[in-house]
Amino acid sequence: MPARRPLPDRLRLGVGTVAGDAAALASRLLGKGSGASIRGQVLSTVHPGAFASLVKGRRIASVTGTNGKTTTSHLLAAAIRQGLGSDAARLVTNADGANLHYGIASALAKAPKADIAVLETDERVVADLVAQGSPEVLVMLNFSRDQLDRNHEIKFLARSWREALAKAGEAGPVVVANSDDPLITWAVEKARRVIWVDTPSKWSADAALCPACGSILTRVDPNPDEPQGRWDCPSCELTEHAADYQVREGRIALPEGRVVDPRLKVPGSFNVSNAAAALAAAVELGVSVDDALVGFRTVEAPAGRFATASFGPTSARLLLSKNPAGWAESLPLLGTPTVVLAIDSVAADGKDVSWLWDVDFEQLVGKHVVCTGPRAYDLAVRLEYAEVSHEVILDLADALASVADQPQPIDLISTYTPFQKLLKMAGLR
Amino acid sequence: MKIVVVYQSLLGIYGDQGNSRVLAKRLEWRGIDAEVVFVEPGTPIPDDGAIYLLGGGEDAAQTAAVRELKADGGLFRALDLGAVLFAVCAGYQICGHSFTIGENDEVREGLGLLDVTTVRGPERAVGEVLTRWKRPSGGEYVLTGFENHGGYTTLGPDATPLARVEVGLGNNGDGTEGAVSASGRVIGTYPHGPVLARNPELADHLLELALGHELGPLERAREQHEGLRRERMVFVRR
Ligand SMILES: [Zn+2]
Repeated sequence: MPARRPLPDRLRLGVGTVAGDAAALASRLLGKGSGASIRGQVLSTVHPGAFASLVKGRRIASVTGTNGKTTTSHLLAAAIRQGLGSDAARLVTNADGANLHYGIASALAKAPKADIAVLETDERVVADLVAQGSPEVLVMLNFSRDQLDRNHEIKFLARSWREALAKAGEAGPVVVANSDDPLITWAVEKARRVIWVDTPSKWSADAALCPACGSILTRVDPNPDEPQGRWDCPSCELTEHAADYQVREGRIALPEGRVVDPRLKVPGSFNVSNAAAALAAAVELGVSVDDALVGFRTVEAPAGRFATASFGPTSARLLLSKNPAGWAESLPLLGTPTVVLAIDSVAADGKDVSWLWDVDFEQLVGKHVVCTGPRAYDLAVRLEYAEVSHEVILDLADALASVADQPQPIDLISTYTPFQKLLKMAGLR
Repeated sequence: MKIVVVYQSLLGIYGDQGNSRVLAKRLEWRGIDAEVVFVEPGTPIPDDGAIYLLGGGEDAAQTAAVRELKADGGLFRALDLGAVLFAVCAGYQICGHSFTIGENDEVREGLGLLDVTTVRGPERAVGEVLTRWKRPSGGEYVLTGFENHGGYTTLGPDATPLARVEVGLGNNGDGTEGAVSASGRVIGTYPHGPVLARNPELADHLLELALGHELGPLERAREQHEGLRRERMVFVRR
């Protein structure tokens, strides 16, 4: 590890103006409550105006996108903590993944003195945060359809980002954007400045039409480095931008030409892409590349993702996948001969499980799958047509008990709601 | 048998390609050769397919798909030659005379393959549906699915409803769901995604139409289908 330089060189993070205001506000929100009840009071009394007040005056880095928000926020927060060294307490983050107005306000209210915030931000909150919190950096990871039953919102949300960035003008954030994503490229067209991160994408089914003019996008300039070529609209100006940071085969090429191996503790090539975005944001905030990389390696199981947990005699590595793009990323990580896949379809999972048919479950041929959760039969039909060996055990605990005789830990992928249940069952939440 | 998935990248956002997997496997498991062909805009649509599939998509994708399909002509030739067309959701809408897109309800001309018209309804229909389908070969079969559409569809005299609604909105709230052409060989329905994965009898009906003869029952996947259908019916009727 390189020797620490003095703080002002390491990190140009000035002392914020927020501390006093936020402390006062937090104490107003908290009333005179004390001890054990404070947390509960924060959670029950954060009112709609609190979000606008609490995000003001801090130096904010926001992370949004369909997949990877939580892990990327954890990576960015860890990088900044490393950069801050003994001043790490200046940082606040919504580490639990509560990323709506309410969750963000709660996290901030609990840290009135923290003048730097890394905020995982739901796509629906981004426009408000840009307008009310003037973030310095906004990371946009990817924007694919998330829950099918609210799919029609995609374009509407992208438009809200675009308008918020246009309105913020010169006071708006520097955007770290995925150049591979046409919808993000369109949404950030009016941003003050964009740092482009090129990631190898596995998922392109959502990106067929130009978000600006509706023409069918084409691929141009194939080369050995990018055999697919870059995407381009034949009818208007929208096109894939040249990258500042580039992810290739698990490594990150930096703007100055150096190529670094992040050697992350979190698995999967998609997390290298997340790390590239976090790195770009950290460097923009003044963290050195080396500090950021050291910080990244402290991240192992953000909000329980990738954690290995015990359930009686069974232990399982917990992977969370919320949509087809997420499943496309997670399935190749399954290493054990028997795996558990948990599917639900309450609101937080998306009520429609049609996405099962957009995921390449055929790659699991040779493994045995225990299908669990309320929609286990939908998965069973899908696996039967993929000719993958499987059984249905509806109850989560029973499903886990059924694999106790297998080599541990068992790999498990879950949609959102069963994942939260698993964390609770394992005492991780 | 050749099964053609038409413009999956434009009309296929709800896992609709699953319908082609279901059809192909149900043939294969019966010892009948199946070939699934994915055709994207810019590539000619073959006219020698037996079954053509259209899926769900956004407004802009609907407009682009109609433009490309008309310019290409392959789908129309195939239907003249006796092919079967199964269209879901946005794919169903574009088969009609017209549909509307955007908040200003701009009218777009459809493919004219079904005697239906679609306009934007008062509110979006999102959720589970359960309908009753009278099989042409006799008997009633419950269709289960998931609908998600802002357009409301009205049938003209040359189309008959595919099914009657028990739960959900269906075409426009009038108790009907889907539409079948006079020839019986063009079928449109709102339940999107792999609706055939939830209704294997409907899948076999399409195969029988294309083959011109009846198919016996299939043991493979029966247990999974029954589990899924039982679970969904209990869920929507509770
Ligand atoms: Zn364009």
